[in-house]
Amino acid sequence: MFLHYIDLGWRSLRRTPTVSFLMVLAIALGIGITMTSLSVYHMMSMDPIEQKSDRLFHPQLQTMDDGNDTWSEDNLPFQLTYQDAQHLAQAPVGRYKAAMLRTGFTLHMENSDVRPFIQNARATHADFFNLFDLPFIYGSAWTQEQADDASPVVVISEALNDKLFGGRNSVGEQFFLDDTAFRVVGVVAPFTTHMKFYDVNNGAFRDHENLYIPFSLIAVMDIDTWGNSNGWKFENIRSMKDKRQSEIFWLQFWVQLDDDAAVKQYGEYLMGYMAEQQKSGRFNRENLQFGLRNVNDWLDYRNVVSEDNEVLVALSFMFLAVCLANILGLLLAKFMRRAPEVGVRRALGASKRQVFLQHIVEVSMLGLIGGLLGIALAQLGLWGVRLTQEYYSPLATMDMTMLLSAPVIAIAACVIAGMYPAWLVCRTTPATYLKTQ
Amino acid sequence: MLEIKPIINALRRSKVGAVLLLIQIAITTAIVSNAAFIIQDRMTYLQQDTGYPEQDIFSLSVMTYGKDRDLSQQFEEDENMLRNLPGVVDAAITNAVPLSGSGSASGMGLKPAPEPGRSVRAGYLMADDHMLNTLGVTLSEGRNFYPDDVIVTQDPNKLPKVAIATRTFADEAFPEGDGLGKMMYIGDRPFKIIGIVDKMKGPWLKDDRPDNVIIFPYIKAETYQHIIIRTEPGQRAAVMQTIEDKMLAAYDKRVITNVIAMDEDKRQYNASDTLMLRMLMVLIVVLVAITALGIFGLTLFNISKRTRQIGTRRALGARKSDIIRYFMVENTLICAGGLLLGCTAAILMGQQLLQRFSLPALEMQYVAGTALMVLVMTLLAVIFPARRAAQISPSVATRSI
Repeated sequence: MFLHYIDLGWRSLRRTPTVSFLMVLAIALGIGITMTSLSVYHMMSMDPIEQKSDRLFHPQLQTMDDGNDTWSEDNLPFQLTYQDAQHLAQAPVGRYKAAMLRTGFTLHMENSDVRPFIQNARATHADFFNLFDLPFIYGSAWTQEQADDASPVVVISEALNDKLFGGRNSVGEQFFLDDTAFRVVGVVAPFTTHMKFYDVNNGAFRDHENLYIPFSLIAVMDIDTWGNSNGWKFENIRSMKDKRQSEIFWLQFWVQLDDDAAVKQYGEYLMGYMAEQQKSGRFNRENLQFGLRNVNDWLDYRNVVSEDNEVLVALSFMFLAVCLANILGLLLAKFMRRAPEVGVRRALGASKRQVFLQHIVEVSMLGLIGGLLGIALAQLGLWGVRLTQEYYSPLATMDMTMLLSAPVIAIAACVIAGMYPAWLVCRTTPATYLKTQ
Repeated sequence: MLEIKPIINALRRSKVGAVLLLIQIAITTAIVSNAAFIIQDRMTYLQQDTGYPEQDIFSLSVMTYGKDRDLSQQFEEDENMLRNLPGVVDAAITNAVPLSGSGSASGMGLKPAPEPGRSVRAGYLMADDHMLNTLGVTLSEGRNFYPDDVIVTQDPNKLPKVAIATRTFADEAFPEGDGLGKMMYIGDRPFKIIGIVDKMKGPWLKDDRPDNVIIFPYIKAETYQHIIIRTEPGQRAAVMQTIEDKMLAAYDKRVITNVIAMDEDKRQYNASDTLMLRMLMVLIVVLVAITALGIFGLTLFNISKRTRQIGTRRALGARKSDIIRYFMVENTLICAGGLLLGCTAAILMGQQLLQRFSLPALEMQYVAGTALMVLVMTLLAVIFPARRAAQISPSVATRSI
């Protein structure tokens, strides 16, 4: 029966080519525009590390004296001071933990035809790779001993390994970062997500770093951040040593807590730490306060999905509604004109349900064609997005979910629009039309 | 005269078509007025005057890794080399590039710390006496730096004693408008405002105070440094092309990156606004087209349903113009209802956007303008089908009864 309905639907669509074309066009435009903005939104709001996003936490400490403001909605600073990050990294609680900051160097090699170039780097603890499930292709992270000695060792990304060493096992090779010779200890697989969720300070969709160096080098090499530093009081900072001892916020920190008990324990640890620091003269405030957000809460808190994008998604769904109203009007016209034919069918024994279903199948076909055309239009739109905003390039694509949902949304929309006309036409009383023929 | 009563009666009997039309007009009005307003808002932002001859300026970044030369001296030589290049007007080493989206800002105190007092935040540039000429801005009051105002040092304890500020900054710090010659403080270190520039944007156009800019005569040569260059009109592309080689020829243990024209830099910084602008424009155009098409289609449908009725009216003596007028009035009525609903929706939507997102409050003239445009569009979309209806021959009414 279904195939028969499809056949009937196809004939009906071909009988009124202009109206069919207009309807397909309307649904295609609606879907095209909606999918363009929805795809970018979808890529932006995607869970970057699905398997453990609820177990990774970014702690925040309210270290400011009473009466000072930061820019966050709950007045907690986004980043940590060096001393706090250092302390939390040594804490006995938390499965894996890593403090980190973004920095960079000039990378150059002896006897190489690779021209010196600037490369972003992340100074962090070895747990970084465990926290974010990054497998090693060659070698491993640096050892605790190397970290303690502040050895100039480096983990590089697969992309950089390809560029410098042609993809071979480069463990043990050397290159210079500024004027220090570093030895490669590991080559790590790339992140599977475009989102730099662990450090959203300078844009959540910038490229991931290609170099990872031990955190202990920050103090030894006087490394400064290439990201944000935010202070809240006047401090006389004349050197990197002053900065490390200051109340400036400039580090990110992530910890893996496997269950609620661990989260609670970690919270208690943070309170205890603050109380202890208060005795030594820091945290001049009445209420000690901390934040502990998991990955998705954190991204939400940091407004990673841009407002513009949310506005666009809302507007494009309203646009889809207009397209639907249009299709509804056209379907009404089309189906009502067919009432006499339906009258005959009803007289010959077709039930209301059958007539209704037949028309729903017909509008679903419209939706399918429109949806497919809409995908093509959305590709055009996304191409425009990539052209205008390079930064969105990795985001302005449709993944499988989006490709599949386009026709689903289109068909659902068409069925909603077709419901009323189909219902009207199935109520046709055969007698009225049989009389005039 | 306008037969409003019979029209309303007729509409009551076939509600669906009218309601559909009404909804379309309402949503269209709501979306278009808000989108047009956002577009206008972004346009003003994107087209603002930055105070710089953007088409003649470009910048580059230098990352030095060699340790065998004195950085300050190297940069001094670089500046001289660059200033003497053919096609170059002037060049200056700086800590930050205006309009680029990256730089430094700090609160400048009216009292020395730790004395309590107001402080005014400003993006600051650190460069020598060539900076004003390089940026192509002129002083409206006071004087430029003298060469001996400029402090070239690696010692963090030496700080500049004078500064040039924008009018906006000076007026915010000294609301009387007499900022020239006044003292201000970075922490506990004093400096004097010796010159005022009327218009000069800082590193961040999206800052809540993009006009608060201050220039210090100070060069602390860092391993990562920016250089701004202004060229003769039309010479920029040629100079940009050879600049990396020229810089590396002067000293090769460094990397030259980010060689970028100022207008391009600004474009990249603003790319998300341009994107929003374009998306909204596409949305509006397609939306208006679709709505017009919808009205067109629905009127055609209404007419085809009423062919016999129209024929009867014509047979009873109605002129063609009466028929056309009938449909025009009918549509205007529906449109008026839709506009009423749409304007309310537009205002509510504007309030929602204002509350949830950092968008300014919707201005009423956008709602009014959109309503007018939608009305005109509706009438245009109706004329053709109405004229077709008027062509219906009276004989239709007498057939097949």
